Amino acid sequence: MYRYDTLDQTLVAERVAQFRDQTRRFLSGELGEEEFKQLRLRNGLYIQRHAPMLRVAIPYGLLSTRQLRMLGHLARKYDKDYGHFTTRQNIQYNWPKLEDVPDMLADLASVEMHAIQTSGNCIRNTTADHFAGISPDEVDDPRPYCEIIRQWSTLHPEFNYLPRKFKIAVTGSPADRAASEVHDIGLHLKRGPDGQIGFEVLVGGGLGRTPIIGKVIREYLPREHLLSYLEAILRIYNQEGRRDNLYKARIKILVKAKGEDDFRAAVEAEWERIRDGALKLDDAEIERVRAFFAPLPYESLPDIDVTEGREPAFVAWYRHNTRQHKVPGYRIVTVSLKKHGEAPGDITAEQMFRLSDLADRLSSGQVRSTHDQNLVLGEVRQQDLYECWQALQALDLATPNIGTLTDMICCPGLDFCSLANAGSIGIAKQIHERFSDLDYLYDLGHIEIKMSGCMNACGHHHVGHIGILGVDKHGEEWYQITIGGSASGISSLGTVIGPSVGKEAVAETIAKLLDVYVAQRQEEETFLDTVRRVGVQPFRERVYG
Amino acid sequence: MAEIIKNGALADSAWTNGTAAELGAGAPVVLHLAEYLAFRAGSPASDILAHAAVQLEPADDVQQLAPFAATVPLVVVHFPEFKEGRGYTQARLLRDRFGFKGELRARGQIRADLVYHLARCGFDAFELAEGEKVAVAIAELKRFSVAYQPCADGSTAPRRRYGG
Repeated sequence: MYRYDTLDQTLVAERVAQFRDQTRRFLSGELGEEEFKQLRLRNGLYIQRHAPMLRVAIPYGLLSTRQLRMLGHLARKYDKDYGHFTTRQNIQYNWPKLEDVPDMLADLASVEMHAIQTSGNCIRNTTADHFAGISPDEVDDPRPYCEIIRQWSTLHPEFNYLPRKFKIAVTGSPADRAASEVHDIGLHLKRGPDGQIGFEVLVGGGLGRTPIIGKVIREYLPREHLLSYLEAILRIYNQEGRRDNLYKARIKILVKAKGEDDFRAAVEAEWERIRDGALKLDDAEIERVRAFFAPLPYESLPDIDVTEGREPAFVAWYRHNTRQHKVPGYRIVTVSLKKHGEAPGDITAEQMFRLSDLADRLSSGQVRSTHDQNLVLGEVRQQDLYECWQALQALDLATPNIGTLTDMICCPGLDFCSLANAGSIGIAKQIHERFSDLDYLYDLGHIEIKMSGCMNACGHHHVGHIGILGVDKHGEEWYQITIGGSASGISSLGTVIGPSVGKEAVAETIAKLLDVYVAQRQEEETFLDTVRRVGVQPFRERVYG
Repeated sequence: MAEIIKNGALADSAWTNGTAAELGAGAPVVLHLAEYLAFRAGSPASDILAHAAVQLEPADDVQQLAPFAATVPLVVVHFPEFKEGRGYTQARLLRDRFGFKGELRARGQIRADLVYHLARCGFDAFELAEGEKVAVAIAELKRFSVAYQPCADGSTAPRRRYGG
């Protein structure tokens, strides 16, 4: 993985010193509330319902075990002994003290991490496919390009006060495990007509109040032009994006207002002027960064049957929580953070420490975070899978529900977030309770539930096969349900099934939707396939009829 | 006489905002963009040109200054709010694209915490917001010794990842 050089290390150290100084000036009254707000946001610090919340960047979801141990240390020393993995591969701490945050940032800098630009109206952490570099289906590894984008976007002086937040995702696989089509910019690695590596560029995707699938504004961008093209897009947005209305400030609104063709023309014209300037990447720089992500020294191993003679619980875990690695003899293991009774994405300090030990012992010393709020051990030898399962079970991290209904993604909701209208963690628990029968879940197959506590859609509800949105009705928590959304492969936005339902009725409503699916599905059809084939009406009738 | 930070040190500025009518008296005057463009359309004499500066508001189209970049001595960029971001792009276009070499001054809600990024975009002069400490702002100009991006700043970022 990428390692900081002197430049990177100096930059984060100087940033910590700057924020320490800003915090001191704020606490002494020298710096005003509004100015400090802008500054702390750009260091990942929100003021939330109960306490400040610190969001730490995990660039493209990749952590060394040294870094994961540090995240555990922060949870233990400065928080209530746990952290929360988000839908953008980051981790959040819900209970730090403001005056401790400079020390937390210094601790992070000591392991080549930071919280720079994890909030505020600036370029956020660049996310990627969590199976990057190990999945058999990718064109190229997106992580080197994410790292190049990370560096270009970090403290970019021109784009630190954009009209609104700005999110970039990169994927190298047609399966799009990074939800790239609902990002401000989605980059799809592909081979161009010349056989070289480059990108398909999508702009203007997003969720929130106005969910939109991104538009392709360039079919093929040679990789050496990556940064100049991004700079051109950002420059048009910074100049022309709306700043008068918070809800119309994202780039998707600009693309819509200008029209796709005019927007493309503006970007291309700007790019023509800068494409051969200082931002043009030479092969040496690209290869320098790519070398950090070179394939690991794999052993030459055969694929083996590890399930023969093993107990059903292991077999279930193997089927659902592991998947094919591009190298024979290895498997990719997903570590479930979706145990019944726990908030999706939550992990304790102790789990972080012991998972780090396990990753050192049985995987590559690296752990990945996923946008659906799980973790991944990317390099487990098949012969070690049983031992890995036993160890994960002992840590309560082996719930065999990956890809099933209870592998939900969920924002922190009303329990923590000051924006939320309704709780989401409680609903997750209700769903877990209602659907605890694993055989039923396995029979239902692949279903993605995504849940947000408000319109801001941090839980990506629009692109859930079943989406749940918390709304406030006269001070009560209600839930609007959509079906048919997806953010992988063929993206689509869910359709609202009808009036929102009461807090107690969410799991029951889902049960009715599932009844329709089970009754109507044809062979091998997933829930999403059935919704796409039969439409919303039969589901609507069952719930409201 | 207003106090500003210029090239990293405290300096005086004789420029005041005014109208084109005041230019005849020989005093240095800052005009709003529309008035400056009208003034330039009248083909003024070169000794008067040196006394006429222009102020850009966030929504102004900086492209309109392109023909005059070589002859305008001062461009003031207004930041009515701390979080206003368009002036950074205006500055970069003036410096990088139009080759503007004169004084580029940031005005408005200019706090110490902004001057580093502003300088990286090409600003060399700052009128601080009321109550802001000059010494803090001057120190902040040197906050970072490294940067990733090539920008229009010259001296503040000696090391860059891209573009040498």
